Amino acid sequence: MSWVTVVWSMIAAACLTLAALHFPVWLRNHDARASLAFSIAAACTAAIAYFELRMLQSQTTAEFAANLKWVQVPMDLLLLALAAFAYHHLDAGWRRVAIVAIGLRLISLILDFTTGVNLNYLELTDLVKIPLLGESVSVGRGVPNPWMAIGQVSVVLLCVFFAHASWMAWRRGRRAAAVVVGGSFILFILAGVGQAMLAHWGLVPPAPSALSLFALGVVAVMGYSLSAELLRAKQLVAELSEREREADLAAEAASLGIWTRDIVGDRLMASRKLRDLFGFDVAQPVTIEQMVQRVHVDDREKFRERLSQAARRRGEYQGEFRLVLPDGQLRWITAIGRVDFDAKGKPVRSRGACIDITSSKRAEQEMLRLRQDLAHVGRVSVMGQISSALAHEINQPLGAILRNAEAAALFMQHESPDLHEISAILEDIRKDDQRASAVIDRIRALLRHEEVAMTTLNVREVLGDVATLLRPDATARHVALEFGIPADLPGVHGDQVQIQQVLLNLILNGMDSLEGVRDRPRSVVVTARRDGPVSVEISVSDSGCGIDDAHFDRIFDPFFTTKVKGIGMGLSISRGLIQAHGGRLWAENTAIGATFRFTLPIAS
Amino acid sequence: MAESTVHVVDDDESFLIAMARFLRASGLRTRTYSSAREFLAEQRGDEPGCVILDLRMPDVGGLDLQSALSQTGCPLPVLFLTGHADTTSTVRAMRGGAEDFLEKTAAKEVLVEAVKRALVRDQQQREERSHRDELLARFAAISAREREVLGHVLRGRLNKQIAGDLGIHERTVKVHRKSIMTKLSVRSVAALAQLSQEAGLPVHF
Repeated sequence: MSWVTVVWSMIAAACLTLAALHFPVWLRNHDARASLAFSIAAACTAAIAYFELRMLQSQTTAEFAANLKWVQVPMDLLLLALAAFAYHHLDAGWRRVAIVAIGLRLISLILDFTTGVNLNYLELTDLVKIPLLGESVSVGRGVPNPWMAIGQVSVVLLCVFFAHASWMAWRRGRRAAAVVVGGSFILFILAGVGQAMLAHWGLVPPAPSALSLFALGVVAVMGYSLSAELLRAKQLVAELSEREREADLAAEAASLGIWTRDIVGDRLMASRKLRDLFGFDVAQPVTIEQMVQRVHVDDREKFRERLSQAARRRGEYQGEFRLVLPDGQLRWITAIGRVDFDAKGKPVRSRGACIDITSSKRAEQEMLRLRQDLAHVGRVSVMGQISSALAHEINQPLGAILRNAEAAALFMQHESPDLHEISAILEDIRKDDQRASAVIDRIRALLRHEEVAMTTLNVREVLGDVATLLRPDATARHVALEFGIPADLPGVHGDQVQIQQVLLNLILNGMDSLEGVRDRPRSVVVTARRDGPVSVEISVSDSGCGIDDAHFDRIFDPFFTTKVKGIGMGLSISRGLIQAHGGRLWAENTAIGATFRFTLPIAS
Repeated sequence: MAESTVHVVDDDESFLIAMARFLRASGLRTRTYSSAREFLAEQRGDEPGCVILDLRMPDVGGLDLQSALSQTGCPLPVLFLTGHADTTSTVRAMRGGAEDFLEKTAAKEVLVEAVKRALVRDQQQREERSHRDELLARFAAISAREREVLGHVLRGRLNKQIAGDLGIHERTVKVHRKSIMTKLSVRSVAALAQLSQEAGLPVHF
């Protein structure tokens, strides 16, 4: 076997091997277009080597011309693959220039088969024998085909395309790839194609065709560049898994449960902590539906909605949800997550992180409960203060009922009882019974210990109930209790019982401050007015002795009292209640007595 | 003698009616008033009876009415009723001379008992007052000189001593004594002494 055969065969074999190595890469990942371009380029080089070998060993002009004609096919495909490779691998270049170049190349391929004996020659006159590697090989000679110029324009355009793409890649910092790919491609074209062209136009002495040799160089450079990429990818994978471990560690340390859901493949990956949070086994496969099922029934819709909303529009979501674990345990989590979209805007992946907030939620609820307990205690103590007034009020109807019943019993002992009188008595008894139960209802409403019920309140009505409760006490203590509430006052947002408690407390304090006042009218005046666009101000003014300067800063402190029997919680609790409503409570000394004011938000 | 009347003053209309019904059914003459002012306006003062007062009323309260009543010439016994008896007002009422202090829901026996007791007391006070008035009328007939002599008699001095003290004749003293005994219609000095005491005479010894 001759050396020429061995060398050209080896070129072909090497290229086919490389093509076979990289083609599966593209098969597995269609995004790896550079690999596809590379394997096509390698396969084309093998084909070029084959046709070239046939040319070198041609015995007749016809045989040479035919092989030269056919070598154009892998040649064009090679150039196309190179352009594609440069475009995808460097991720740069004028696409239009490439398309024009490839288009011209296609036209020249048609001309190759339609004009002359091939694109290179109109007519092949003879074969020249030239010595190569110790044997003589054939080189053609004849009349050049002028259409060849079209193919050459295309080659020049490709050179421009490669140069520009390399320049862009260089500027973007991918200098190695730019030099290797751009440099080698241009070198190949200038050296290989240029040499052939010059020889063709008779500018240099004829030489054996060695296109495949140059092409092999290019393929080797491409292979190197690709493997460098693969190596870098592998390194990235290693770094990534390192980062992943760090992220896991951080998540673990922060007690974050993490999950990632592949929406397209419908797979869900859940971190150990997440399984822990949701009460899943370590190995158990988890689906999004299973996660949803663990969410508390009342929160489930909200959870689903957040997920689907994130997938539809915003891409991100956040919320607090309750979980019910298989053993019935209740757990609060705060969940935050994001949905990733592909280039077409389709959701492909959603990720989420959850954290256990049960203990802080419990603390929050405990605090709320304590505040309610405190409010309850305050209410009971307020009620204790007016209990004698209440007893008076309830004994009024009870006394009437008793006397009526006794009177009726006495009337019945008459020989001819006056039935009209007796039925009037019975009617009165019924009315007084209703009166008594209305009093009891009011007391119960004030003492009940329920969750706070925020509603829209009419200040006039709220004060009406308070006035009914306090009126007897005010009368007994010779205090004029007056109310000045404008009819057009907007409704406020609040809990009726708590607001009444605050009012009771402030009015009782006002009445207490009048103890010992003899030289001026004894009055407690409650007024209300709109205070700006969002709130209503209610004030309770007395004509008492005012607040001692020494006490002024301490009256809202817990357990601070100036009363003999006081526990010192009234104002402290009242301020807490008003603040919980989003309002303020403060005190002022006036020309006579003191005024306590508080604000409440207007109901929207 | 006129029949006793029970006056009930209460601002709670329903209780007022029920109370009146009960008292009437118990055989007592009853009048009702919805405020202290109304009661004071209609009060004639010379009729026997008693007052049942609600402690807590607007404007003039029960205790105020009680002190207003006690300043009139013939105070009616006052019986307080209240929805709920607290210590402060109980003490104040009793100190002001209240006949009794009851809760509105008190048992009927207690209530009737208290009303009857008040009426009896009113009767007694009335009798005492008329007896004293009569005595005062009798003493009013005695002249200034006779009163002087009476003072000495009650101190147990003899006619001769009195004559000496006053610088008059002993026989004149005897005439004065006889006149006093006749006017007061007593026979002995002992009876004279007792009568003077009953009348609560401002006798200066």
